[in-house]
Amino acid sequence: MRQEQEHAEEPIEPILPEIADPPVKVPLAIEDWLSVLIMAGLALITFANVIVRYMTDSSFAWTEEISVFLLIVLTMTAGATAFVRNQHIRIEAYADGGTAARRRALAIAVHLIVLLFFILLTVLSARMAYDDYSWGDTSPAIGIPNWWYTVWMPVLAAAITLRVAGILRRLLRSAA
Amino acid sequence: MIVTTLFVVFIALMVIGMPVGVALGVAGTLAIVLSNLDTQWFGLLAVPQNFYAGLAKYPLLAIPMFVLVGSIFDRSGVASRLVAFAISMVGRGPGMLPLVTIAVAMFLGGISGSGPACAAAVGAVMIGAMNRAGYPASFSASVVAAGAATDILIPPSIAFIVYSILVPQASVPALFAAGMVPGILAGIALIVPAVWMSRRHNMGQLERSLPRPPFWASLREAAWGLIAPVLILGGMRMGFFTPTEAAVVAVFYGLFVGMAVHRTIKFRDLFPILREAAELSAVIMLVVTLAGIFAWALSTLSVIDPITHAIVNSGLGEYGVLTLLIVLLMTLGMFLDGISIFLIFVPLLLPIANAYGWDPVWFGVLLTLKVALGQFTPPLAVNLMVSCRIARVPMESTVRWVVWLLVSMFLVLVLVIVFPELALWLPRYLGF
Repeated sequence: MRQEQEHAEEPIEPILPEIADPPVKVPLAIEDWLSVLIMAGLALITFANVIVRYMTDSSFAWTEEISVFLLIVLTMTAGATAFVRNQHIRIEAYADGGTAARRRALAIAVHLIVLLFFILLTVLSARMAYDDYSWGDTSPAIGIPNWWYTVWMPVLAAAITLRVAGILRRLLRSAA
Repeated sequence: MIVTTLFVVFIALMVIGMPVGVALGVAGTLAIVLSNLDTQWFGLLAVPQNFYAGLAKYPLLAIPMFVLVGSIFDRSGVASRLVAFAISMVGRGPGMLPLVTIAVAMFLGGISGSGPACAAAVGAVMIGAMNRAGYPASFSASVVAAGAATDILIPPSIAFIVYSILVPQASVPALFAAGMVPGILAGIALIVPAVWMSRRHNMGQLERSLPRPPFWASLREAAWGLIAPVLILGGMRMGFFTPTEAAVVAVFYGLFVGMAVHRTIKFRDLFPILREAAELSAVIMLVVTLAGIFAWALSTLSVIDPITHAIVNSGLGEYGVLTLLIVLLMTLGMFLDGISIFLIFVPLLLPIANAYGWDPVWFGVLLTLKVALGQFTPPLAVNLMVSCRIARVPMESTVRWVVWLLVSMFLVLVLVIVFPELALWLPRYLGF
């Protein structure tokens, strides 16, 4: 308790102002919770692996396969919210300068192309998952069918597609 | 023809503000279609396959884990205690706070692996303190951004992890060891002009009157943070952990320190910490995997060999080509972030490096040094963006200070080119 008072004047790190989320219809909490749980899960799995390896001198090969799958899901779920929150790495110098009308036009053009790309990725990854299903490949470490993993690719790509579509809709509705 | 399309589309999309990763993916996809017009589905199935394969790599797990380490140590209260301890050692006086800032940023570099995260943690503590001591805010922002740039050189470093994924013959431990000496040299190269500028412009005159924290008490407070790099780097050195495992151990250690010792992290803070780390990792990994599509398209077009051949036989000589590469990368570094530069250019540059027989570890250190410089070269300087936001100054105001820091750190780059042993001695000595 005393220690807390001592550091009362210490700045809370980091002090960057929180940026409010854009007004979305479908709450971002869906992807956020998935991302947070996966992040925590990945840390716990890997930590458990270290401990088990030192206690028993053996390691679980199968956790690697699960971790890699979770990593893919994490990239897609947190990647989707990063689109909504405009966190992706981009060159802002030209796009975010100029008149409001130009900024809006560029943002619409950009999001239209991003939307088309993710629609394509959804369709193509669905096809890839279908191929995995019909050829019946199994995963190397656990030996479960490969499509159990790949089937989530089109689902998650579709989620990103919908998020980008939502951004585009908000852009088009905003005053020109 | 297709190659030109590939690059023109990519550059055009980036300029209009498309996320770099998606611009790479779109350009790559277009190139695949153009070169497979007569095959079924235009060869497009390579797109999801490369996307999936680009992410399905176990070593990539190190990225989210080291990002998480950074997010946790940012809030663990370690930075402010390290600052107090550093001040108790060097004392008070003009130029001492900039020195402490850079030293603490370097030390935090031994815990976290990304520049902007380090700039946020150090900036939160130091910019206010330097303002109170009479340093101009634009100077403080410059020093914080430059100091935090040493972070990606001093191990652990996310930049080295990405490089190692692209260049498997350069192992992560070897790169980590190779970054140590150049990273410390870069830090020293920043301290000298920072202290000199504060003396010369009579900044920080109020600093002498501020109290000096007691040595032993600050040491005891800072001990938890001081142990962290020993745990991470020592654990890897002794072969206890792989880099990923070291990161996870650091995550739980940081949580213990933040939640139980310094009590700066509450249970409800865990959600935003994990969310922020997840989003930041996803941003990096999405670029990694979409750049994979671009690189794959490039490799099937078989243009890299002729380009390499042309460059190697251009008569510029080894150092001429190296100079040209550095000038090219410095220019690009003003507009693009480091990880994207790695992902786009390492596949192109590696054949050139191989042709000249450059050591891949040394080459990785060179590229990372250059990226570190880019992190505080305006206009696109990720570290400066963070520190300027904390200091509430426009980025233009920092130019007059940042220039000298850039020149000084550039000399380290030249040193590493002239004496490759600066990078290569430690990994060889440690036997990586």
